[in-house]
Amino acid sequence: MARVKTGLSPRLSRMLEELQEGVEDGLVPAWIFNDPELFELEKERIFSRSWVYLAHESEIPKPGDYVLRYVLDNPYILVRGEDGVVRALLDMCRHRGMRVCRAELGNASHFRCPFHGWTYRNDGRLIGVPAEREAFGQDLNKEEWGLVPIPRLEAFDGMIFGNLDPGAPSLEEWLGDIRWYLELVTKRSPQGLEVLGPPQRWVVNTDWKLALETFLSDSYHTLMTHRSLIELGIAPKDAKYAMYGEQIHIPGKGHGSMVVGAPPGAKLPPFWGYPEEMLERARTSYPTREQFETARETRILLVTLFPNFSFHNPIRKPDHKYQGAVPMLTFRVWHPLGPGRIEIFSWALVEKDAPEWFKEKTRLSYLRFFGSSGTFEQDDTEIWSHVAHNAATPQGRHLRFNYRMGLKLEPDPNWPGPGVAYGLNFTDANMRNFHRRYLEMLLA
Amino acid sequence: MDRTQALLNCLYHEAELLDEGRYREWLALLAEDVRYRVPVRVTKERGPEGGLSGVMEGMYHLDEDYTSLEMRVARLETGFAWAEDPPSRLRHFVTNVRIGEPRPTPKGEESEVRSNLLIFRSRWDRPDYTFLSAERRDIWRREEGGWRLACRTVILDSTTLPTHNLSFFF
Repeated sequence: MARVKTGLSPRLSRMLEELQEGVEDGLVPAWIFNDPELFELEKERIFSRSWVYLAHESEIPKPGDYVLRYVLDNPYILVRGEDGVVRALLDMCRHRGMRVCRAELGNASHFRCPFHGWTYRNDGRLIGVPAEREAFGQDLNKEEWGLVPIPRLEAFDGMIFGNLDPGAPSLEEWLGDIRWYLELVTKRSPQGLEVLGPPQRWVVNTDWKLALETFLSDSYHTLMTHRSLIELGIAPKDAKYAMYGEQIHIPGKGHGSMVVGAPPGAKLPPFWGYPEEMLERARTSYPTREQFETARETRILLVTLFPNFSFHNPIRKPDHKYQGAVPMLTFRVWHPLGPGRIEIFSWALVEKDAPEWFKEKTRLSYLRFFGSSGTFEQDDTEIWSHVAHNAATPQGRHLRFNYRMGLKLEPDPNWPGPGVAYGLNFTDANMRNFHRRYLEMLLA
Repeated sequence: MDRTQALLNCLYHEAELLDEGRYREWLALLAEDVRYRVPVRVTKERGPEGGLSGVMEGMYHLDEDYTSLEMRVARLETGFAWAEDPPSRLRHFVTNVRIGEPRPTPKGEESEVRSNLLIFRSRWDRPDYTFLSAERRDIWRREEGGWRLACRTVILDSTTLPTHNLSFFF
């Protein structure tokens, strides 16, 4: 691994060396979860160079449909033009910088700036300048004054990502082998996914890496953090239920997945508990037989993409008295707002061709357990905020957290999917892999 | 007691139960077929006729029935609901109460009741706090034993919520 390079303050260099020394040994200093100087470096070297999830194509199906999304605090209008092409345009008038979009979502043929009236088509071209001849004569070349598109915009199976770095590798290369795991969800049906409405948005005083870790590798927290749901019979009776699965990371990429089956002796329906007709469609929809067979044995699936996207797809039901299973799917962006502060964007999604009764019930399975009021997630956000607070205290910041779980595990040679897999999900392997990638980007 | 005073008393009594965490007593105020929803709100342009902007039909923060509300209460009783243990110090301020005309229905006399709501929330030993402002659009029904909440839609005045979870009731 590269040595900490110059160009960083002596303080930050010293701190990153400490992190670098600790990662392979599973020792991570608390301060990485709440430090203003480090946050500035994360903005510059991670979020300005990574593929960041913006939207699902089903949010903007028709020409003119748009949603407002952010990369760092840069506001982007993600809009489908009359030509059907999706663009991400910086929501900032080229004339004097006012926002030209006054809604979080909608449909528009053009965006008109309320400041001086410059008007742009929904493909970003400047088409109207009030009193153009009197004000600018013949000298304004409108082609040079369109809304600024995001440097890179690419999609994978309906998932739209943006990147601020014009020289970034392609999204396909960025994702690499994690695509196999994304496809367990994106290709479960030949029709693909659709969002169930706009995202819930809320703020939490925590670090984006703490939130992400819960979805990337921390199967171990479920037995205590979510014990209330075990008591209510929502989560399996065996408190170690999240242990019975595979944890997989993609070396060099930072991405990871957890694929959890049924605890021994537990009678859980196959294929997350999705309706039989969806299982039958999946049989031919998945690109490979291995993916179908993996999906059939899966009850909980999580995928996290470096740096700040996760999805969670567990077997569930709308409430504790409901008979039968209704799985749910949520997409997440852990949007960094500042040191020790994030905004969560949380969507519910479902297969487009799922039966209507199922779409209604899966929405409820999501709302009761995840999202802003979710009975699992309530306890996560409570705990994350205290950890981030402690991580900034003068004594607490020097504590080194224990990321040694599963340090001696050997990879599972029989796992059918790509990446490095461990046959026991109680491990910090995915997070150690994330920290390696995190350091690599911070130091490069 | 006249209808207006009886319904006002219901709202104030309900606020007291929620402030004091007496959730089983609160459940007893709900009709068995209660519909309890908090829609997601988004920023939208002003419509030509004014009115509330950006109240979304498609997604909610809460979309509950009696069973799911009972589940949330039962969860608080497990001793492992960390979001509310220690409990938030909550204060429900209920104002601008508007009571509609009584309306006979097969299930009993019903009345629309609108109120403005301000919730103060403080946690642990921190001096900071959260405010959530909303309008509640209720339907209360006269049943045997008193008025019951049959339907509540909470119109939040926030798009992005300023608090880390909704582990309490509106």
